Amino acid sequence: MSVSSGATSSAGIELSRVGRTYTRGKKTVEALTGVDLTIQEGEFITLFGPSGCGKSTLLRLIAGLDTQTTGEISIFGSTPREASARKDIAWIPQSSALLPWLDIEANASLSSVINTRADRSGATTRRPEAAVGILEEVGLGDFRSSRPDQLSGGMRQRASIARGFAQGAPLMLMDEPFSALDELTRDTLRIRLLELWEHHRKTIVFVTHSAMEAVLLSDRVVVMSPRPGRIRQVVDIDLPRPRTWELTETPEFTAKVAQVKQILWSAWEGDE
Amino acid sequence: MTVGIDPLNPAVSAVPLARSRRRLSPRTGGALLTVGAPLLLFVLLAIAWQWAAATFKSVLPPMQDVIADIAGRPEFYLENLAVTLQAALLGFVIGVAVALLLASAIVHFRFLRAAIMPVALLLNVTPIVAIAPALVVAFGFNQIPHVIVAALSAFFPTLINSITGLRAVDPQALEVFDAMSASKTEIFFRLRVPSSLPYLFAGARLSVTAAVIGAVVSEFTGSSKGIGAVIVMATTYLNLPQMWAAIFFSALTTLALLGLVGLLERLIVRW
Repeated sequence: MSVSSGATSSAGIELSRVGRTYTRGKKTVEALTGVDLTIQEGEFITLFGPSGCGKSTLLRLIAGLDTQTTGEISIFGSTPREASARKDIAWIPQSSALLPWLDIEANASLSSVINTRADRSGATTRRPEAAVGILEEVGLGDFRSSRPDQLSGGMRQRASIARGFAQGAPLMLMDEPFSALDELTRDTLRIRLLELWEHHRKTIVFVTHSAMEAVLLSDRVVVMSPRPGRIRQVVDIDLPRPRTWELTETPEFTAKVAQVKQILWSAWEGDE
Repeated sequence: MTVGIDPLNPAVSAVPLARSRRRLSPRTGGALLTVGAPLLLFVLLAIAWQWAAATFKSVLPPMQDVIADIAGRPEFYLENLAVTLQAALLGFVIGVAVALLLASAIVHFRFLRAAIMPVALLLNVTPIVAIAPALVVAFGFNQIPHVIVAALSAFFPTLINSITGLRAVDPQALEVFDAMSASKTEIFFRLRVPSSLPYLFAGARLSVTAAVIGAVVSEFTGSSKGIGAVIVMATTYLNLPQMWAAIFFSALTTLALLGLVGLLERLIVRW
């Protein structure tokens, strides 16, 4: 079992002076400004902050779903779009976004039928995994032939995460995947995700507005603040791994959550 | 914090929601309501019909006369029905096929959308059945004008619904596809087309009704065969039973075709 963050330094993800402005008519909105961040390969990093702090914008830029107006983003040495063309980025959205006409197994193996030219070209560095195995890991082994509308919200979200892991991409981007779920289901899925990550060791960038979730999951928490969206501070979460639910009841954990929240509050007070 | 609750307890999340689309078998009271209520109304309407037929002899024929007319010469009605059905179905297939092709092109090319939509809207506000006489002049006394009218009638509902359906994709599912750099073709066939099916069938239901109406009304002019022609003939000879028998058959045809579309939908759209 691995201990602590301690990711080896290698060409992971590098963002330098990244900014994104939107123009609506004559108005210009600065959604993100001056983002400098380096993410090591195999690291679990969380973008944490309130609505409008640009965390989802930043994630979309890393995914190549949007393009920055200033600065550079490098994903394992190439641009986000190049990485996406190689299928090296798995995107896990807020809603499960499963395809209702496919069964759970077909949904989880979606990546095997999309952008097949990337697989044929041999450019991809991803290592696709059998959807069945991942579904079993997330406890959906018995629901492979069920349709999404026959499952609960939590199960659908697990299937969505399984779809992401089955793609086998070295980089996984998760945009508040648990925010639409009830508290109990959320807690279950947080632990499940940690187990999956311990097993597969992907680089994960995870967006959340829950300080507790950020501290529980990640090696580092990037605290962001709005108007304009920017990084306030990056907090190392040097709590031992593998992490279990018991960790959340320790004073060290509570202190970390308080520290992360404090940074956000002081940022707000500074703005006012 | 949820201290004391084990988040890994599978009982919390491993229970699938039994959300089946099929309805539970209705209780006796429910069955009485769903079958009995409309039946009662039918009986009341039939009584009202018979009363009106007896009172206003030039407005409605007695029901037994209509039934006797159909029973006396079923082949006459079936032959004419076949003619109308042929025009309606052929028109439906052509109208829907063209609408689907155009909708697929429109969602991909903004130029086409800008070019086609005003023309399609103009076509929609034109009373298509009024074109029928012009088409008879152009194509002569055959099936072609009626097929064209049926096709034009069927075209618009499917066009609008399929455009709406092809664009109504889950934006988050689209992000999943985009993050993998899915090609336009993959997005079209693996996401847009399946997403649009419920809209497509809603359009098909409107189109099939429109096609039958188009065919029947088109046969009012320049036709000696078909349900429309039978109605016109009946008007000329003031033959009320024949007129109502023809109306009954065209309604029944539409109903049967709607049932067929509904059946297809239930077989294909199972989510």
